[in-house]
Amino acid sequence: MILNNIEVMFGGQAGDGSLTTGDMIAGVFKRMGLEVYTYKDFPSRIRGGHTNYVIRAGTTPNYGMADFVDCLVAFDLEAVQLHIDEMRSGGFIIFDNTDEKIPAELRRDDLNWYEIPIGKIAKEDLGLELVRNTVSLGVIAELIGMDPQILRRDVTNIYKRKGEKVVDINIRAIEAGEQYIRDHFASTPSGYTLTASADGDRLIMMGNDAIAYGSLVGGCRFMAGYPITPATDVLEWMAKHLPQHGGAVVQAEDELAAVNMIIGAAFTGVRSMTATSGPGLSLMTEGIGLASSLEIPIVIVECARAGPSTGLPTKTEQSNLQHIIFGGHGEFPKIVLAPGTVEESFYLAIDAQNLAEKYQMPVFILSEQALCQSKATLPRLSFEGVEVDRGKLITEPVVFGEYRRFAFTEDHVSPRVIPGTEGGMHLAPGSEHNDGGVITENADNRKRMMEKRMGKMETARPDLPKANLFVSPGARVGIIGYGSNRGPIAEAQDRLNQMGEPVNFLQLKTLWPFPDDDVKAFIEANDHVYVVENTYTGQLARLIRHVVGPIEKLHDVRKYNGRPFRPIEIIDAVRTGSAVSLAGV
Amino acid sequence: MALVMSPKDFATATPSWWCPGCGDFGVLASLKSACAELALNPRDVAFVSGIGCSGKISGYLHSYAFHGVHGRALPVATAVKVANNGLTVIAAGGDGDGFAIGAGHFLHAVRRNPNITYIVMDNQTYGLTKGQSSPTSDLGYVTGTSPSGNPDAPLNGMAVALAAGGTFIARGFSAQPKKLIELIKAAIEHPGFSVVEVMSPCVTFNKHNTFAWFKENVFDVTQIEGYDHTNKQHAFEALTADGKIPLGIIYQSQRAAFDDLVLGDTPPLTTADVYDTGRFRDIQDSYR
Repeated sequence: MILNNIEVMFGGQAGDGSLTTGDMIAGVFKRMGLEVYTYKDFPSRIRGGHTNYVIRAGTTPNYGMADFVDCLVAFDLEAVQLHIDEMRSGGFIIFDNTDEKIPAELRRDDLNWYEIPIGKIAKEDLGLELVRNTVSLGVIAELIGMDPQILRRDVTNIYKRKGEKVVDINIRAIEAGEQYIRDHFASTPSGYTLTASADGDRLIMMGNDAIAYGSLVGGCRFMAGYPITPATDVLEWMAKHLPQHGGAVVQAEDELAAVNMIIGAAFTGVRSMTATSGPGLSLMTEGIGLASSLEIPIVIVECARAGPSTGLPTKTEQSNLQHIIFGGHGEFPKIVLAPGTVEESFYLAIDAQNLAEKYQMPVFILSEQALCQSKATLPRLSFEGVEVDRGKLITEPVVFGEYRRFAFTEDHVSPRVIPGTEGGMHLAPGSEHNDGGVITENADNRKRMMEKRMGKMETARPDLPKANLFVSPGARVGIIGYGSNRGPIAEAQDRLNQMGEPVNFLQLKTLWPFPDDDVKAFIEANDHVYVVENTYTGQLARLIRHVVGPIEKLHDVRKYNGRPFRPIEIIDAVRTGSAVSLAGV
Repeated sequence: MALVMSPKDFATATPSWWCPGCGDFGVLASLKSACAELALNPRDVAFVSGIGCSGKISGYLHSYAFHGVHGRALPVATAVKVANNGLTVIAAGGDGDGFAIGAGHFLHAVRRNPNITYIVMDNQTYGLTKGQSSPTSDLGYVTGTSPSGNPDAPLNGMAVALAAGGTFIARGFSAQPKKLIELIKAAIEHPGFSVVEVMSPCVTFNKHNTFAWFKENVFDVTQIEGYDHTNKQHAFEALTADGKIPLGIIYQSQRAAFDDLVLGDTPPLTTADVYDTGRFRDIQDSYR
């Protein structure tokens, strides 16, 4: 059993407050000085339906879930039924037995059972059923030794807006939970000694907030979007902050409008972005081709969820990768960046704004539900070296007739004017055009224009975020992955290293233009390479095979049940050594 | 000092792709004259068009012109205005662009009421794909895609605009340039979303709704006795009555423009300081 590393899961019905309680416990862990990662697994509805919220805390950073759940707080029997197989042997289940009992066939003897009438305590002893979540907090706090002072301070801070009475009853609810354990159970489960260092100057932030924050810092001043899970947080964050900083946000009538709006604002000279998920991306695909053809800088945040069609709207998947890279009619340049942590989400969002304007093309930030809606602790964000680089934007008057908006240049990037600039009047047409913007079907011009636009990707290449290479001494086995899989892969790597079976890890941060050289070098340096991804068809593996050919030392590790990898699934795949390993199925 | 402009100042060197005699020439000429008479500066005019014969018009107006994808001129134009409300923003498209593939955006532009002008060049057919039926084609119109006659009733775009909360609804005829210039000028000066539907005959494919047919079938809305273009009831009756097609300013009212509501006192977004990145350092304090 791992000391000082615990995974707590709250399970119950959507709308019963387990998300709020989960957030609260995450905050307490963070202020106790622990590193925290949270994962929301909720249904696509507001009330009812099983929901669970996982909070992982430990003394070292975690960017993903553990192998097993240590502590399940089950507000109903369904939560136990659904998750008992995910429990670590020796873990414990806190079950609200007010209305339901645990059937004998469900019991596992290797677990510690705490069957407590949490709902009854809330309703009868405290007179308010609503506070049963807070009672459960007191129960957990007593069982795992959470800092009682921090817990009380956090609860006070969260409820003080609602008045003294609300604070008071929630404090009493914590005490009732703690007291029940002291009165009814002899000892606390062994192994969890959650004493950690001081909190320090650290943050706890959701991936989507980090993307939005980075975009603001990176100079974005216009956002248009259409609400869609799991991307809506970005639109809401920007709606709150952009107007305070000389920007504006528009909620569009659909994603077709949203992408055309950001194209319009970017054409006018304002750094612009949208955020969407798979279904919205399908609608935006037409506009993204237009932006690329017109060499207009836009940033598209894609918070991937499981497709196709509506798919699993609130679950994670990496299956939009090839749509992002190859989607759209015709051939056009784009850049695709993929952060692997909340911290990287912030910095890559800044990079995305600069890259879009420097190379005058669409830039994607690809995140996934397991990263964008997860919270994690991180060090204070650094503003050292953060700069806005507007590339070849011209703000001075130009000479009409001499100025060519789509001029052929050595680096393929043309000086760009915006409306209002004297002398720069031109047509920007989605139809093929000459260097001055006049529509033409001339064959030579077409060839040159294709080479100019596509050539910008090669110009941009040296400027693109480098992959993270985590090398282990003596390792001849490698793992390649990106996005939310950074967490489980890194953890699997640590543990394989400790087992004496060391592995290397290449985390890709730029996915397009594809980092051919980095991938080739990594594969050459390893005898076996495992490609870990949340797809059925192995989309990343296919991109890799396109570069290195159909080699036998490449293995696929795939999971496509809508849930993120747990480290043990990757460890098992590497140790088995089979050509294709399917996890979670 | 006010500029003195002539229609020629809004001409481009690009030769037209339109068929000889196309109604769209009349729309373009009137638009250039209206811009000149309003003494607009081409550098401060953003002109957005969609796809189709009508969409070609953005290539022929000296301005910051944008020729986007089919049906999406209005979202682009709305955002251009929000991004820089110092610009005069005009969008143009055809009946297919505005009332078929872009019908959703049309409704929402009317509802939002951004301070932009939308010119719908209505020829009641799909010209660039060689004469299929459009959302404004007559019932029974025989085309390659409707060999037994168009089974769809025509859409009354201006009545829809009125119902959706339109604040400036006008209709012109491309063969009446003097009146059309005045309509376009009034539309550009209207503080909100102004839509001008211009009956612009297709001389190649629409053999029914011809210049001659329109001359017989249009009338000036002011000829209706006691007509008040600020009266919604009058406007609705005029737009939905059977018989001849009313021209002129059909309806005008005022309410807050979208860009004003979104921006408030914010100066043009193009002037926002993006370089001082360090001032955002403290936002992270709320995540401690």
